[in-house]
Amino acid sequence: MRTSAVFAAALSLVSFAAANSPVSQTYPPPQVWKNANLVHIISAEKNYVKENINVLIENIAKQPQDEYFLPFTTDQLARLGGVEVKDRKDAKAGPFVAEIVEVDPKRNTQYLRIQLPTPLKPGAQQTIGISYYLLDAYKPLPATINIEDPQFLSYSFSAYCPSAYTTSKQKTEVKFAFSNIPDYTRLPGSGDVAEFPVKQGAKLTYGPFDEKAAGAVEPVQVRFEFNRPVNHVADLERDVEVSHWGGNVAFEERYTWIQGGANLTNHFSRVKYQHFRLPTWHILREMRFPLRVGSSDPYYTDVIGNISTSHFRSNKREALLEIKPRYPLFGGWKFPFTIGWNSDAQNFLRKTATGGYVLNVPFLEGPRQAEGVEYEHVQVRVILPEGAENVKYTTTIPSSSIVSAKVVIHKTFLDSVGRTSLVIKARNLVDDFRDRELVVSYDYPLTASLRKPIVVIASSMAFFAGIWLLGNLNLQFSK
Amino acid sequence: MRWLPAFVSALVASTTGVLAVKKSTEERFASFHTKALASSAVKLSDASFRELTAAPRDYSVAVLLNALDSRYGCQMCREFQPEWDLLAKSWTKGDKKAESRLIFATLDFSDGRDVFMSFGLQTAPVVFYYPPTTGPHAAKSRDPIRYDFVNGFQSAEQMHAWIARNTPNRPSPPVQRPINYLKWIVTTTILLGGGTSAFVAWPYVLPVLQNRNVWAAVSLISILVFTSGQMFNHIRKVPYVGVDQRGGLTYFAAGFQNQFGMETQFVAAMYGVLAFSAMCLAIKVPRIADPKVQNVAVFAWAGILFFMYSFLLSIFRVKNAGYPFALPPFM
Amino acid sequence: MSADLLQAVADVGKGKGTRSLLRVVILCLIAGAAIASRLFSVIRFESIIHEFDPWFNFRATKYLVANGFYNFWDWFDDRTWHPLGRVTGGTLYPGLMVTSGVIYHALRALNIPVDIRNICVLLAPAFSGLTAFASYLLTNEMTTTPSAGLLAAIFMGIAPGYISRSVAGSYDNEAIAIFLLVFTFYLWIKALKQGSMLWGAMCALFYGYMVASWGGYAFITCLLPLHSFVLICMGRYSTRLYVAYTTWYALGTLASMQIPFVGFLPVKTSEHMPALGIFGFLQLLGFLDYVRSAIPGRQFQTFLWLFAGGIFGVGLGGLVLATSLGFIAPWSGRFYSLWDTGYAKIHIPIIASVSEHQPTAWPAFFFDLNMLIWLFPAGVYLCFQQLADEHVFIVVYALFGSYFAGVMVRLMLTLTPVVCVAAAMAMSSLFDTYLVAKAPKPEDHVADEASEGAAKKAAKTGLKSTSRPVVGVYSYFAKGTIVSGLTLYLLLFVLHCTWVTSNAYSSPSVVLASKMPDGSQHIIDDYREAYQWLRQNTADDAKIMSWWDYGYQIGGMADRPTLVDNNTWNNTHIATVGKAMSSREEVSYPIMRQHEVDYVLVVFGGLLGYSGDDINKFLWMVRIAEGIWPDEVKERDFFTPRGEYRVDGEASEAMKNSLMYKMSYYNYNMLFPPGQAQDRVRGVRLPEVGPTLSTLDEAFTSENWIIRIFKVKDLDRFGRDHGQAMAFERGIKKKAPRKKGPRTLRVD
Repeated sequence: MRTSAVFAAALSLVSFAAANSPVSQTYPPPQVWKNANLVHIISAEKNYVKENINVLIENIAKQPQDEYFLPFTTDQLARLGGVEVKDRKDAKAGPFVAEIVEVDPKRNTQYLRIQLPTPLKPGAQQTIGISYYLLDAYKPLPATINIEDPQFLSYSFSAYCPSAYTTSKQKTEVKFAFSNIPDYTRLPGSGDVAEFPVKQGAKLTYGPFDEKAAGAVEPVQVRFEFNRPVNHVADLERDVEVSHWGGNVAFEERYTWIQGGANLTNHFSRVKYQHFRLPTWHILREMRFPLRVGSSDPYYTDVIGNISTSHFRSNKREALLEIKPRYPLFGGWKFPFTIGWNSDAQNFLRKTATGGYVLNVPFLEGPRQAEGVEYEHVQVRVILPEGAENVKYTTTIPSSSIVSAKVVIHKTFLDSVGRTSLVIKARNLVDDFRDRELVVSYDYPLTASLRKPIVVIASSMAFFAGIWLLGNLNLQFSK
Repeated sequence: MRWLPAFVSALVASTTGVLAVKKSTEERFASFHTKALASSAVKLSDASFRELTAAPRDYSVAVLLNALDSRYGCQMCREFQPEWDLLAKSWTKGDKKAESRLIFATLDFSDGRDVFMSFGLQTAPVVFYYPPTTGPHAAKSRDPIRYDFVNGFQSAEQMHAWIARNTPNRPSPPVQRPINYLKWIVTTTILLGGGTSAFVAWPYVLPVLQNRNVWAAVSLISILVFTSGQMFNHIRKVPYVGVDQRGGLTYFAAGFQNQFGMETQFVAAMYGVLAFSAMCLAIKVPRIADPKVQNVAVFAWAGILFFMYSFLLSIFRVKNAGYPFALPPFM
Repeated sequence: MSADLLQAVADVGKGKGTRSLLRVVILCLIAGAAIASRLFSVIRFESIIHEFDPWFNFRATKYLVANGFYNFWDWFDDRTWHPLGRVTGGTLYPGLMVTSGVIYHALRALNIPVDIRNICVLLAPAFSGLTAFASYLLTNEMTTTPSAGLLAAIFMGIAPGYISRSVAGSYDNEAIAIFLLVFTFYLWIKALKQGSMLWGAMCALFYGYMVASWGGYAFITCLLPLHSFVLICMGRYSTRLYVAYTTWYALGTLASMQIPFVGFLPVKTSEHMPALGIFGFLQLLGFLDYVRSAIPGRQFQTFLWLFAGGIFGVGLGGLVLATSLGFIAPWSGRFYSLWDTGYAKIHIPIIASVSEHQPTAWPAFFFDLNMLIWLFPAGVYLCFQQLADEHVFIVVYALFGSYFAGVMVRLMLTLTPVVCVAAAMAMSSLFDTYLVAKAPKPEDHVADEASEGAAKKAAKTGLKSTSRPVVGVYSYFAKGTIVSGLTLYLLLFVLHCTWVTSNAYSSPSVVLASKMPDGSQHIIDDYREAYQWLRQNTADDAKIMSWWDYGYQIGGMADRPTLVDNNTWNNTHIATVGKAMSSREEVSYPIMRQHEVDYVLVVFGGLLGYSGDDINKFLWMVRIAEGIWPDEVKERDFFTPRGEYRVDGEASEAMKNSLMYKMSYYNYNMLFPPGQAQDRVRGVRLPEVGPTLSTLDEAFTSENWIIRIFKVKDLDRFGRDHGQAMAFERGIKKKAPRKKGPRTLRVD
């Protein structure tokens, strides 16, 4: 695991370089592949969309190929995140490098380039699994509802999986949380199926379709019941502060939480709210944060002070922080808040043989909600002790989601030179990535660790001496 | 049951009103205005009240319903009556030609029970303003505008302002308070007398003025007076003693935020005793030369101090229920 | 033998070094106690700003910290008093904000980034420690016994009368003002005793700081001249007095005039005139003194004295004349209401409506000062023993302080310091008498008897009680009794102070606490719930209309523009809100439209039994509105014919139709089974059918219904009267519209 992480990270740094500079590239990509068989699984069970494309690709060119392209529209790209490509056959061959190549900004279609670890010989085949997430993918329909009404969302996509290559055989499955799916676009069937899609339970299946040309699309729309809040975190700032003297790691997370569901037709009426206490509901009443075992003294505040409606259950097996917002969150309502907690350093910090330190913390620890949570912007800041040097990091977050990573100086309590801190910005993550690791390694010389106490003692000594001198000063005019 | 008299009186009112209409409004106004010129505010009875206020009328009436008789113990009534008379006088004198066509009148409870009942009045004094129903100043609604003394005593000027508001674009002669010659004379004489006596007595007064004990006494007393809440009595005009449900006297008002006059004096006395015993212990006792006397004094004063303080605490517990602290013997 | 023991004990603090060290330690402990006893609310709830005014001070401080001093100095705040705005920089006392701003930046410079909120919350306790120290200094000026100062310090530290305005989180001007008050007095005494310009200048400096911090500076401005005047009357004019007063007045006045809010008041208003008059009078006396020293001659002196008196009279007359001609403004309302105690109730209902402007009943005195209240006169009496200038000051201060405290509850604050000082003097003299190891020998007193006559003569001018010489206390038993008794009283005092502080003065009225059945504390946080909702889910410039009590909190917590707030500078504007609240919808709606009101916020305690709600304050709104529109709003109409104030079925029509009533009880009866709706504050059953609103929508209601927020509807799409629109939606056939009251305003 660790090795793979390191591997990924190492590549990820490379991949930035690639992504930032436009690669010279023919448009559209040459027809060197054929999708022999393709299964497109769209799971709309949570309040974001997770799409899985399992495709058997075959090299139809003369020479070996190692680059496969997947098309996206520009507006999808803005909401795209967590792209991961794996070899379906052997799981341990780690994630392939995949990044967006910007060929021509004016075009509406852009491509994801997938780098195969080993070039595929002509005629050879390989099964790759591409999985990615799309944030705020749905439109509430109707856009406004009453408190007591159920909530319906609609999602539109293409029945044929968008591909840069000819696809000889494919089908598209759509999964939902509830089986109540009032409307969906119907297509003429083929073979023994009268019409698409086939609905079984909370699942729709379009296809199988026969051969389709490259870039063929068949827009369809589904409208389904989703009687849960749509949790959208516009901004998450996560601080991890390491203290060697205190033997403590302090976490603080600042959320800008927006409920993206259907707005209220009329205003909020407390009476109705108190009357209709439905079991599953499109109102966010509570969030549950399963923290690492051993987390202690949590706090839960917002801009005007402490929020008393929280409950922390901590024992050997779990450390569960349950918080209620100040007010129930309806569609379109906003609620920024801050939570934080402490934990013993030895749960996260190791000393290596070479005398350096290795910190291993979760990259993301959001609440665990049945309906899922999506994060638009995430900033993780690891604040290391004063004087820590040569900081390296690796993470198992998909490299394509990481926007930037840099080391800055952060000055706070009684610092003389300021603390080294690593700031990583990521975008379009979802709560499936909770507990993905962030491993930071750094050196912390003894002199640095002794600096603060020495400075403090010296300065306070100087202060008292000054006071003493002042006290002995004679302010009287000499007679 | 209490509706019956009201109903009857209302009936009477209507009938008399009908009768009254026989006299034209002009005549009525003339007659009442002459009366008004004669006296300050016309004193009314049930009948004359109905005649005066009967519709239609082309003049307006301001009538004070009052209960002067000491049996009703209405303090404000007695306070306000002279103000009202003064207002009426200066207004009526103010426009002899009666351009404002306003008549001031007074109806005392003893003369007009029926009227009081017909209005279902629980309190006095009350001022009713009857706008004219016909003529140039005729108002939309014929029913009178009522003025209650919700925020306490009103001076003639304040009442004048109210009436003037209700009689727009008409002359409203201001209130003329007569110069109180007697007061002037008295004050001047007192001043002169005081001055002369001071001048005569100066040699005798001076030592008193320069005497520390006097000043000490004065300042201590005033401090005690202020810290025992006398200003509260002065501002809130609290009763001297209270009366409980069974009609008995209560000397200590219930609750933290109110008090009785006597109560405060009592508290002041207690503070005084406590302070005095402390003073004695601090100043007098160590100056007693005789050991036995001194011993006695010490224990006497200490005892008084302790006793008083405990009593004070017990009284405070009465005022502030749930006050946990106490000293024997008053636990 | 016990004597030896006591001796041994007493010997501990013999050396000067040890004593001063002990003093420092004790003072530090006292400061610690003072701070600790003010932290109840922080421990019980959290570090939060309390009540109402502190929220404005907090907001202003944040503005200062964010935008720097000069922007703060000329800050025009357009988010209050919409649409008028407020020239905040020129209408506040900046001392408090600047103090915490300086502390904030100082800590920043030391790399200690403390949150500004915590600085504001903890400012008052920190300064209370300084106040204890200041009263220690002041008391030491009064007596020679070392114990008095320490006693005064601890009294000042934990006296509830001062704690009431200085618990953690009550971030108000008084927080620092009391320290400045006491310290200024100390410096004044110092300057007077030494006749030194340095101390006088220091006094002026701190006086300036005081002026910058609190409106109560007028207390100093009147007390110091008064003290000087009394001294002069006692024939105690001296160059020391001249130097001290002149230095203080000249520099202090200049300093005070630097504050925009004060500006030229010191030379234009009556409350500052005594200071000016005494200043002039002192010049005159100085001149005369000089002349007299130059030229002897009995009748010449008398002439001079007459001359002086004449000038004084003329000056006074001129002052009166100037006032009557209007060159000098007469007493300002707030100040005047201290003398003519009936004044405010008639003329300034806003002042009268504030609870802390009520007169003080005697329990309040005992509640706030416990045993000090009866030690106080004893201490004042002690001042008469050797009546030096500083003792005169204490006497004068005591008299005026107690008068003001009697008239206005909040001025208990200005009384507390002198009470502590005097009480400490009394207590310490008791201890000095009874806590001494050595006892006089009985045979000494023979000599005393002899010398008594002489002593009598000597003490002619002094107090009668002190005519005899001091002998001392003979029996140890007596000493023991007294000392143990005093100790008991002191312990009781400490218990009392702790009890009062924790029960009466430690709740941040923003957060309410209630006990669960199992005895655990349950926090009722409706205010912040609603304010946070406003802050997050309304437009940034949505105008909130509420009664003025909540203006500062809305500004501070919800960060939204308000119509009126606790800085009640514009009576008419407040009356407008009062009218809107107390009138029928048809009348209120145009008012709200004209003032661009988006949301209306009311406080309703009916469900929880929270008595401080708007229905209970309603009569003040009506009164204040009536003051401006006597013909449109009448207090009488809100009472039943029998003169009762009711909200149930019997309520008067005006009451039932008033916007406030409708908003408070809108939809409330749906919580209960039909006909069971209960108002737990008024303790009455409400009518079967609740009120209906046609021009407002319920936008938000907090968990316990304490805060209710309503949205003002836009004009009807089809230009209908809102009442008709509602009727139409309810499916009632549209009748011929009966015009009632003014039609709703049409502005597009």
